[in-house]
Amino acid sequence: MNEKEKLYQERLERYTIAMECGKPDKVPICLGIGEWVVKYTDTNLQEVFYDLNKSNSIVDEMLSDFDVDIFGGGPCLWWPPMFDAMGSKLYKFPGIGLDENSTFQYNEEEYMKAEDYDDFIANPTEWLATNFLPRISDEFAEPGSYRATVALIKSAAAFAMQAGTMAAAWEKWTREHGVVGQTAGMTKAPFDTLGDALRSMKGILLDLRRRPEKVLAACEAITPHNIKQGVSGPGADKRFPCFAPLHRGAYPFLNPHQWEKYYWPSLKATIEGLWAQGKRMLFYAEGDWTPYLEKIAELPEKSIIFQIDNTDAKKAKEILGGRFCLQGGVPTTLLTYGTPEEVKEHVKRTIDELACDGGFILNPGGVVMGDAKKENIYAMIEAAREYGVY
Amino acid sequence: MLTDTLSKAIAELEEEQVLKLVKERLESGVDPLEIVNSLQQGMAEVGRLFETGEYFLSELVMCGEIMKDSMDILEPHLSGSSGNYKGNIVIGTVKGDIHDLGKNIVVMLLKGAGYNVIDLGVDVPKEKFVEAIKESNAPLVGMSVLLTACQDSLKEAIDAIRAEGLDVKVMIGGNYIDEVVKEHVGADYYAKAAGEGLKIADEIFG
Repeated sequence: MNEKEKLYQERLERYTIAMECGKPDKVPICLGIGEWVVKYTDTNLQEVFYDLNKSNSIVDEMLSDFDVDIFGGGPCLWWPPMFDAMGSKLYKFPGIGLDENSTFQYNEEEYMKAEDYDDFIANPTEWLATNFLPRISDEFAEPGSYRATVALIKSAAAFAMQAGTMAAAWEKWTREHGVVGQTAGMTKAPFDTLGDALRSMKGILLDLRRRPEKVLAACEAITPHNIKQGVSGPGADKRFPCFAPLHRGAYPFLNPHQWEKYYWPSLKATIEGLWAQGKRMLFYAEGDWTPYLEKIAELPEKSIIFQIDNTDAKKAKEILGGRFCLQGGVPTTLLTYGTPEEVKEHVKRTIDELACDGGFILNPGGVVMGDAKKENIYAMIEAAREYGVY
Repeated sequence: MLTDTLSKAIAELEEEQVLKLVKERLESGVDPLEIVNSLQQGMAEVGRLFETGEYFLSELVMCGEIMKDSMDILEPHLSGSSGNYKGNIVIGTVKGDIHDLGKNIVVMLLKGAGYNVIDLGVDVPKEKFVEAIKESNAPLVGMSVLLTACQDSLKEAIDAIRAEGLDVKVMIGGNYIDEVVKEHVGADYYAKAAGEGLKIADEIFG
């Protein structure tokens, strides 16, 4: 075993023990290299998004002096050519419809109409193929046509190209820098699948009053698909959790009654379905989830890693600590507006309060965006190594 | 306590009842402005319930929808009447950001409170803010932002307004906005929740 392989094994063990709520030798640090890196290079966000090789080589250079256990990935979340190949209307990317240094954005629309509920519930896959795709892309306007078929082939090829390039990059990062990838596979809360991608925020919030029974039935219909998605493809590697970015369950979108009745049951069923197969979820609770901690505590022990963004960290520790691994603790705003000294001070306090008896991974609370300061990111890693020894 | 049945109905988000009452009152010859006034009182109650934690975003969005449908019925009857606005407010989401939920809720509350809101929409360039302020003579401009990465465009828009020497207060709002951001971009006020935005407007116009 060479030095990097040994390092990888050490870090993997640290991560695994923390996920199991145990106490490793050190507090594991998890971090990605986000869009902030662009400011420190001679490139712009558009290039980083479109040119995967360029973006991957930036990551490669930085990883040499980036002492983190768990690596969250590079700055490019989506590869736009894949969407371009199918003429997708879903996103705006830097440089196309947006300034070259603006981050990508989602074009939210009611891609599924209220009157589509029954057809969707009867057969979600068929509905997506024959109704959703034509609506999000001009290329798919006539399903089964020559044009639509070519678009399918082109976009599938682009998807495979991206997957191949990223797999090779991850292999390189793992071998040469000994970092452990945080997740394998991804899924969503069924309510978010319906609310984010299909009905839009406004649509689903109105549905809760106008056609609540349809919302419930649709979430139920989505649940088996979301369980499957979490363990398909890379998700089959069950040593690592699947990533689940959670949206509408954050306070204060839904009132407590709505949360318990419409958001939670299908998400709980998804988590239980995954856990029955030995697959954990990175419960990426963006925003504030404090009012719902007691309900979340009812999940099977260790079935999630709970991400602390704006959730009250002390309450999360009190209610979920010992049952689930907690991750987070560093507010993203601190990485933007704070000074390295403030970051260090905060990391020390966080480790004292949250990491004490194990089951904790130090990580920024949410996605670190383009405005974070490099010196603060490094201060966070330094402090975590200094204070994070058990 | 609300006594008017229409105000009550919108505060309780009774969609069908609101639309029915609006139509009935119009037909029986009630002044459309008076109907708007009843709706506004109900919306103010919705804003209050949100502030005290009884209502959530889902209720605000529903209220906005009922208000919009009601105004669709009322607007043709309102033309010609000047309206008793408390004043003009320009508002928009800054350049580079296309999020509008927060902005729309603030717009709804401001309209509900009797302001004439000039809503510039999303991804608004600085020139458009300047132009709208000049045209409307608004003493208050609201800028919404969700993405922290769009903070520079917030600052640039405020700089442009100051450079023109316009006599206008700038209020910024958004999920991550706080005193530090306010100082950094040079705004006069900041609001983290829609209700706070309304209070600031009342302070300026009051």
